[in-house]
Amino acid sequence: MACEFSRRRLLCQGANAALAAGIPLTGALADTNTNPKPIDEYRRSGMLYRRLGGTDLFVSALSFGSHINSAHRVKVKHGSTLDKRGQDRRDRHIARAMDYGVNMVDTYENAGQWQPLAKLVSSRRDRVLVSMCRQFPEFVGANIDDAARLFGHVDLYRIYVGDGDHVDDRILEDWDAMRRAKQAGKVRAIGISTHSERMMVSALDELEGLDYIMFPYNFIHARADYIDVLPKAIRQQVGLIAIKPLAAGSIVKLDPKAPPGSTPENTQVQLYRGNNRPLLPAIVEKLTESLKRLPDESLCQAALRFVYSQSFITSAMPGMFQAHEVDDNYAALQRQLELSQVELDVLDAARMLCSARGPGWLPAHYRWLDQHWRV
Amino acid sequence: MTGRVVLRTGLLATAVLALPLIFMPDRDFANTGAVASDDKSGATHKSGTVHSIPGEFKQAGVCARCHVVSVLEWSVSGHVAAETNCRNCHGESRGHVENERNEVKPDHLPRGEAIARQICADCHQTGCPTTLRSQSCQKCHHVHALINPSEPATSTTVDSRLEQLLSRWKQFENRMAEAEQYVSLQKFQAAQVVYRKALELIPGNHSAQRDLDMCIRRLNPELPGFVVVGRDFDSPTGLPREVRVVDLDVSMLLGSPGEFDIGRDELPDSRPAHTVRVAAFYLGQYEVTQSQWQEVMGDNPSVHQGPDFPDASRMPVDHVSWHDCQEFLRRLNARISGAGFRLPTEAEWEYACLAGGVKMTAGSDPASSPDRFAWFRSNSLLLGRSEQSFLPIDAYAPRPVGMKQPNRWNFYDMRGNVAEWCSSLVRPYLYDAEDGRESVSASGMRVVRGGSFSDAAVSLNPAGRHSERPHRRLRWNGFRLARDVPHVPPTGGVTGDSE
Repeated sequence: MACEFSRRRLLCQGANAALAAGIPLTGALADTNTNPKPIDEYRRSGMLYRRLGGTDLFVSALSFGSHINSAHRVKVKHGSTLDKRGQDRRDRHIARAMDYGVNMVDTYENAGQWQPLAKLVSSRRDRVLVSMCRQFPEFVGANIDDAARLFGHVDLYRIYVGDGDHVDDRILEDWDAMRRAKQAGKVRAIGISTHSERMMVSALDELEGLDYIMFPYNFIHARADYIDVLPKAIRQQVGLIAIKPLAAGSIVKLDPKAPPGSTPENTQVQLYRGNNRPLLPAIVEKLTESLKRLPDESLCQAALRFVYSQSFITSAMPGMFQAHEVDDNYAALQRQLELSQVELDVLDAARMLCSARGPGWLPAHYRWLDQHWRV
Repeated sequence: MTGRVVLRTGLLATAVLALPLIFMPDRDFANTGAVASDDKSGATHKSGTVHSIPGEFKQAGVCARCHVVSVLEWSVSGHVAAETNCRNCHGESRGHVENERNEVKPDHLPRGEAIARQICADCHQTGCPTTLRSQSCQKCHHVHALINPSEPATSTTVDSRLEQLLSRWKQFENRMAEAEQYVSLQKFQAAQVVYRKALELIPGNHSAQRDLDMCIRRLNPELPGFVVVGRDFDSPTGLPREVRVVDLDVSMLLGSPGEFDIGRDELPDSRPAHTVRVAAFYLGQYEVTQSQWQEVMGDNPSVHQGPDFPDASRMPVDHVSWHDCQEFLRRLNARISGAGFRLPTEAEWEYACLAGGVKMTAGSDPASSPDRFAWFRSNSLLLGRSEQSFLPIDAYAPRPVGMKQPNRWNFYDMRGNVAEWCSSLVRPYLYDAEDGRESVSASGMRVVRGGSFSDAAVSLNPAGRHSERPHRRLRWNGFRLARDVPHVPPTGGVTGDSE
């Protein structure tokens, strides 16, 4: 099956090749004046580590996301936490990931999450990068102090800046407080998370000392080019961390080989079995055929490898609820980074399937993302 | 021993041959155009009125303040007419000029044959006109070429001229001692007269000129745009320590001129700590309040006002950008006689915060708990909010100015309450006021100092440097006024007597 030539692929592969060769990006991706520094990276014991933007932090290409298993979620006043069984499972998975060389763990909803993580990393604090997000509505300065008291210091601290078009006064105030915390040595890198490309561009313009951006990045969404933001971020040496590399678990459900027991959140999406018979048999057939040519690799692994292979992405940060997910995500790193033609065919078929399905391929509470990801 | 005798004789001869210049202060040397004014040589705000200084002293500029004899040698030799100046041989030597403790040497100090090879040969390309030698000029000439070989000094003339010089110097010293006695007795009118006589003996003497200026200020302490408060005066400068801005309820205190170590090696953005010199300036005793802003600007941009803040008028104005501050200053300067109001430089701010140079990190000294002198996050919670968890920024607020203890120089709220805009662009240290960072029209981020009510104690470090874009308004940024010392009346124009 011939690979479709797409503008996105041209841009992404062109950018990768240029970055790998250490030559400046030209044309649509960058000004002629840009001189992006090649991202420093190294491998150790099977894990790939990349420099986070212009900082001195090296982050594993696979990091541990903050999403928690909804089956064990307990609502609290500010955010949610895990019941004991769920927390034990999460701790085991984090420990397993660390054994593989994962060196960054993210927490988003801090209510009840910070303390178990602090306990878990206490014996290897110097080898683990703790990534934290501001717990709304607490004032950023106080929130960082709380975190620094618990962890000694915070390695990465970010604020979720929403998905608007530009940073507002409130964000600027938070950012000022974050810069002060970094100056005081409480935080090593400061960043933002957002789903909006326009917000990312605005942040690159307005936020001094921006070290990194967490943004959704996977092979499916049509705006993967991020044509405005990527050259700018690379030029400014801002680290890029891919969140939702598996589209909030949705990609698992596209995979007919997904192991039993996978519990992604989008249980409504049933493309292969159950009452929802495949609506798009031709595309499903194409995907199935392609996957058969990938005997040692799942769709999720191919999807993750797509993210790993983008050298401007410092780290992919999937949520991992099961032990085999940790194993699989790590195993995906063991191949050479460049995607094979078969893998590209698989991803093309999966992309077409999602495109044809509309926002329904995403879980209900993430369908709004589809708008961001379509041109 | 012989060497010492020779050296002593040489110095005496040097001094003696300088006598004609001292007795002929108006001797007109050709203007070489090699002006070494304060500005050009990089001297930092060394105030002092010019007092009939001979031409060569004017040309030597700041160098003549210390190197009197060398300047005389240079002028006697005729090198003055040959369009040479100090910088030709010694370089710009900005560090040397700025460091009055003489810890920094001039950029170039050629020695021995290097003088002949690198300097003399530039003009005397065929060697010495008399001996035709091209090496070791110092065998016959003093390093500044004082001795004119065509008119060698005889022992008789040396003795006679030396006597006159020593006598003159003795008179000068006596005048200075006499004047100092008058000063100690607060008799500034008499002291002024004596300092003038001393300056007639040694024109341009730096100490005499400085002390004369001090007497003049003490005799007429009024400064345009200021009302002098109290009778506390700065000893070296004679400036009133406390003043109040006319028609505006703003109290300002004198920052005495001096040197201090700016920066702190432990802070990445504030290293290296290094010595800077600060000229005399006035700085607001308190941060500019909302009522003061309202009076000048007619509006109040502060976030912290309204029914929740009954004392808002006495609270510092906040949510102002650097550009807003400039507009405030523009209107204030248009309104106040003498103008000159501005934001403090970051060097001035840190100097005042440290009250002249004592390092004191908030929290590092139990005896000076930040809680006693600063509003910061730990003590800035609004009433009734302390029991809540996950407190938002709205739960914290600044307080009316002057409610905490002042620092040793009586400045209130230097640390905490609101962070304060400075005039400086943020640039790496070393701090150099002449490198463009104090340009008002330049673009770039401006320095904010002192920390605020929203910061933890560690961020109140006097050496801590923060910066912000000049158009940006944040709820914790305010400012305090600064002003250069207003123009001092000319030396001869004083008639008052406060004795």
